[in-house]
Amino acid sequence: MKSMRFLTALAAALISAGLARAETVTLDLVGPISDYKIYVSEKLDKLVEDTKAFTGAVKAGDVARAKALFAPTRQSYEAIEPIAELFSDLDSAIDSRADDHEKAEADPSFTGFHRIEFGLWTKNSTDGLNSFADKLLNDVTELRKRIVDLPLPPEKVVGGAAALMEEVAATKISGEEDRYSHTDLWDFRGNFDGAYKIVELVRPLIAQKEEDFLKGVDDNFNRINATLSKYKEGEGYVSYEKLSEADRKVLAAAVNKLAEDLSTLRAKLGLD
Amino acid sequence: MPMRATFRNAPAPGGPSRLMPLAVVGSALLAVASGVLFYYASRTAIRSPAGPVYRVTVREKSCDPNSLVAPAGRVAFEIYNASNRTLEWEILDGVMVVEERENIAPGFRSALTARLRPGRYEITCGLLSNPRGSLVVEASAESEAERQKPPLKAFIGPLAEYRVYLVQQSSTLIKEAARLAAAIRAGDIDEARLRYVATRLPYRRMDIVAGRFSDLKNRIDPVADYLEKREDDPAFSGFHRIERALFAKRSLDGLQPVADALAADVAALGARIRALRLSPGDICSSVERQARLFAESQIVKGESPYARNELVEFEASLQGMGKALDLLSPVLQGLAAPALALVQERRSVAASGLESLKRAGGYPAYDEVGSPTRDKLAGDFRAFAEAVAKLGVLLGPE
Repeated sequence: MKSMRFLTALAAALISAGLARAETVTLDLVGPISDYKIYVSEKLDKLVEDTKAFTGAVKAGDVARAKALFAPTRQSYEAIEPIAELFSDLDSAIDSRADDHEKAEADPSFTGFHRIEFGLWTKNSTDGLNSFADKLLNDVTELRKRIVDLPLPPEKVVGGAAALMEEVAATKISGEEDRYSHTDLWDFRGNFDGAYKIVELVRPLIAQKEEDFLKGVDDNFNRINATLSKYKEGEGYVSYEKLSEADRKVLAAAVNKLAEDLSTLRAKLGLD
Repeated sequence: MPMRATFRNAPAPGGPSRLMPLAVVGSALLAVASGVLFYYASRTAIRSPAGPVYRVTVREKSCDPNSLVAPAGRVAFEIYNASNRTLEWEILDGVMVVEERENIAPGFRSALTARLRPGRYEITCGLLSNPRGSLVVEASAESEAERQKPPLKAFIGPLAEYRVYLVQQSSTLIKEAARLAAAIRAGDIDEARLRYVATRLPYRRMDIVAGRFSDLKNRIDPVADYLEKREDDPAFSGFHRIERALFAKRSLDGLQPVADALAADVAALGARIRALRLSPGDICSSVERQARLFAESQIVKGESPYARNELVEFEASLQGMGKALDLLSPVLQGLAAPALALVQERRSVAASGLESLKRAGGYPAYDEVGSPTRDKLAGDFRAFAEAVAKLGVLLGPE
């Protein structure tokens, strides 16, 4: 009878060990995911508010003010890009680049931030930008509306940290994102903040088991912060053209390492 | 199989001939073991649908018995009120209300079924000031089987979204409670009455959860009926004390500290809600619990005796329950479509029952709502609670 009890106990132990691990981890994620949703909502509120001021300046023909508001307005979008990108129609309307379109800058489907950026910096004028300004404000308002009641897919949230870094590494570190205004460092700040927020929210769930991993991640974020801080100017950053080649390499190395490390975050949280 | 390995590793001084009988004994033991496991499993399965009923008699100062031991899973209780006061009976996990029955009149019995996880609980015994009894819930075959439910990953998004809703409602509650306190400080009784009703709405929208923190609930929302000295009891604090002053006594005298304490308590509630971890099963049992409270007590006798704004509060509470159910429903659709459909159908019956009472200027005062209407409404909420209970069984406590 002793053996029977042993078997029963063993079976129970195996069952609870196997399941408890996956389940506890998963339910623990509810807090971080909902805190992230609150973060996203706040960023979207700010994006809509800032976009009103930015597009208002464009429509008022105030080139200097519109230029000054362009980069700070984008930062909220950049911080939550993994979620904003869930809606491809809006992402393309709001944030596509000229080379995403057949006729590049001349393509009528080229709209959003970069279309306005093109007008403001290349032509130093707000001429012909009114309809783009209206559309941008409509689109960011629509984005907020769609996300308000959207339960965020946990794997998109957790995977978002790596996604942000991969995107910086693949298509931003080159300076191609804000090619007319060279305000790329502002965007980077938003991207890094958004990725770091995700790490911060899930940190308590892995702090004990993943001490080394977190230290490596923190070191790279610190390296990035230290590098970016050299280029700070006022509320933002100097032109991307002023970034030294050595610092660009430091940033690129840290971003690549972060993209690689953070891509394991989903598995660490049982989301793969 | 682990047993075979053990035998093989055991020292065999007598050579191979000694192993044979041991192996035979080993297989025999395995056969007996599986037989016993089967017997145990079938015995529990037979027991579980009906199961024993735990009877508790509540006397003036204590429960009898005052300590209970029950197996985990669905546990049935029958509460007998042997005291001379109407009482509520609760099962508490720390400060959290797991299950409760309100409005048990003297000499009456009330049945309650709770899905309990293994652990130590307390039971309340009559007046809030009476010492509590204990309830120990032990692991059972049923509770172990519950752990084998499908993974919860699909629920994380909806649960996170519901937590966002709770956090938003509690922020609104904190703001509204501050405005109520400000109106009282300013000596503006008309404004304070408006603010009172407005403050109740976010509280009601999250009452399935707020009602579970028993210590805060007893400060924020105690009803005079359950206090020894009723309205004169020093523990008569929070909303209903303010309600009585504003709507019955029509006086702001001495109300400032009460309003300030309420503001502090709802802030504490906000912090608790942020730290709360809810499972889909928790949400179902919370909705069921609240809908039953409505059916058995609040709809029948009313809950706001001075302001008589019950109907708008019931509506807000039902909105909160609906929010939780709507968020879970895409996942539940795949797991329990028929049970979910019944829940949604009965929920809309309850909602339209309330809606039908609306007049041009909004809901009438609750004292204008007669017994037949109240009974009908209570029936709608009872049917809703029962449908949610069936859904909850499919989800389990996790």
